[in-house]
Amino acid sequence: MLQIKNLTKIYDDGTRALDDISFSVQEGEFLVVIGLSGSGKSTLLRCINRLIEPTSGQVLWNGQDVTAAAPGELRRIRRQIGMIFQHFNLVKRMPVMTNVLSGRLGYVSAARSILGRWSKEDRARAIANLELVGIANKADNRADELSGGQQQRVGIARALMQDPKLLLADEPVASLDPATSHSVMKYIEQLNREMGVTVLCSLHFLSLARTYATRIIALKDGIIVFDGGPLEIDDARFREIYGEEAVEVEIR
Amino acid sequence: MSQANTLPTQSHSPTLATLLSLIVPGSGQAYVGRRERGVFILLTAALLLGLLGWLNLWMLAPLGLPFWLWQAWEARLYAQGRNPGTARLILSAALLVYAIGWQVTQIDVSRVITSAPKVVPFVTGLVQPSYFDRQIDYNAIPAAIEIPCSPSPAGAASPASGPSISLSAACAAPGETVTITGSDFPANAEGEIWFQNAIGNRARMRGTEGLLTFEADATGAFVVEAIMPAVTNTEPQTQRLEARYVTAVGPLRLSETSWLVIGRMGETIAQALMATTLGAILAVLVSFFAARNLMRVNPATQAVYYLIRTLLNILRAVEPLIMAIVFVVWVGLGPFAGVLALTVHSIAALGKLYSEAIESIEPGPIEAITATGANRLQVIWYGVLPQVWPPFIAFTVYRWDINVRMSTIIGFVGGGGIGFLLQQWIRLTDFRAAGAAIWAIAVVVTVLDFLSSEVRKRVV
Repeated sequence: MLQIKNLTKIYDDGTRALDDISFSVQEGEFLVVIGLSGSGKSTLLRCINRLIEPTSGQVLWNGQDVTAAAPGELRRIRRQIGMIFQHFNLVKRMPVMTNVLSGRLGYVSAARSILGRWSKEDRARAIANLELVGIANKADNRADELSGGQQQRVGIARALMQDPKLLLADEPVASLDPATSHSVMKYIEQLNREMGVTVLCSLHFLSLARTYATRIIALKDGIIVFDGGPLEIDDARFREIYGEEAVEVEIR
Repeated sequence: MSQANTLPTQSHSPTLATLLSLIVPGSGQAYVGRRERGVFILLTAALLLGLLGWLNLWMLAPLGLPFWLWQAWEARLYAQGRNPGTARLILSAALLVYAIGWQVTQIDVSRVITSAPKVVPFVTGLVQPSYFDRQIDYNAIPAAIEIPCSPSPAGAASPASGPSISLSAACAAPGETVTITGSDFPANAEGEIWFQNAIGNRARMRGTEGLLTFEADATGAFVVEAIMPAVTNTEPQTQRLEARYVTAVGPLRLSETSWLVIGRMGETIAQALMATTLGAILAVLVSFFAARNLMRVNPATQAVYYLIRTLLNILRAVEPLIMAIVFVVWVGLGPFAGVLALTVHSIAALGKLYSEAIESIEPGPIEAITATGANRLQVIWYGVLPQVWPPFIAFTVYRWDINVRMSTIIGFVGGGGIGFLLQQWIRLTDFRAAGAAIWAIAVVVTVLDFLSSEVRKRVV
């Protein structure tokens, strides 16, 4: 469903964040991208929906070239791809409900959304999605009144408003404690297994990746150094990805 | 100070260092390698000495002694390789600085106490502001007298009831003294005696001790001596005397002062409202050009950024009161001048605050809204504005609060509003009316302060 072909991103300061990367994602996969900070994970995810413009290469979404899409076309592609972030990226001063509804912006006209005239169906859907992540009772709270784990669940509910075929998760649990991390990862796993949403998720910790991934890609300095099943990463591979001095940390 | 660790300690004589510093302050420090500190001490000493000479405050010179002695001692400590610290050096210099400041600002604590009686009328007025009064009735009780005397003067008839005055004589020559007896006046009524000649000219009458007044006793009676004035007629003519007094009748009502205060307070608030609104609208426009994150595009926009920032800083440095003087000259006395002065200052102050709010926008939510497939307008509406408008509102309400405060004094220079009345009443020594204005200002400013902080709590 998603094909990355020779994707390269060179930032203005000359940093080569992605270097000729190619891979494809099958429908229903839970694909985890691992690697050290600065290995290009975030850049890769953002190039897929063009939050960052790739320097060269192609991203194909169901055969359609995202990198060449016109603005209107790009927005129609974007609304099929949900995204959640390390820092949740909620509008802190807005109520949870509005934050969730904003996930629907790609489907409603600018005039309606500016007037705040959300349809009954959209509101019902927002409540249903909040129920799905277990925080429907927080709908009227301001987003910044919620704990980190709850905010990330709002982020998931917002992404679900898009009816996403693919969920991009950029370090979704890197700002959370281990217990909360697992609860958030479980919700993402639920979307993947029960609702059939393909997941492309970047993670710091190998142990989390092993638990949830159906397939793992490892990035190092913008190059794919591993692509395979979660159990194929042994000690030698681990050192190859994270460097000679790294010690694996378990997140339980 | 970076030389501290590399100082040779043996090669400098402590005694020589002390002596040097005693002769030329700081030279001992320079001798032991503390050149910067030596220069600082020398400059400080020169500045203090210069001030003493210029202001002719030589009697304060002994207070410079601690500084002089300490810096010499300090040179010795340095020569011994010890670190004396800076606190005592600063404190000893501060002693003289504050002494000079005390003299220059003519601080005189005793005057606060000895001159206290001068402020009593003001405080008295302040504690009894003239918000309420009663309707005033003007009463004039007449009596007739013939001046000069004719052979057969006609006695005046007294009214049947109510206040009346009777005279000890039916006629008199100019300069003669006549006793006026009042009866049935309101208890403790106070008033004046007036004279009206045959052609209707009126004047206060004089008694033996200047202008004639009367004060009725508890039964409403009084007795005063009046000196008959000179008249132009030589033939005997009937003239008229009047005992005038005022009575307050009816229930308490809002005084004229109150109505003036209310009207001008409304003008003050309106002045602040107009200035804040105009200032806010213009400041929003300006703030985008003063936000560093938006103006980083190219050198030209950066130049605009610096230009606008500098302009705002200069404008903000000029007090609105001074601007009001300029605008009073420009557009004339009145609230419009005040509005202009406050508007300009609001643009400068809000422009800076708004632009800082824009600079602190988080890119995260904008990224997230963009990723949902929202168009540009939706991204601004859902990603940018929710981050910007709460601080904008908070700053604006706060500004209105400040503008009301400033608006109360801008009238002092002719800018309209309640300050205009206040300064008039103070100059007329009508302290009760001034008190009414001051209390009104205190109440309005306190209430607005409370309201604005409530609003700010809610939006941020």
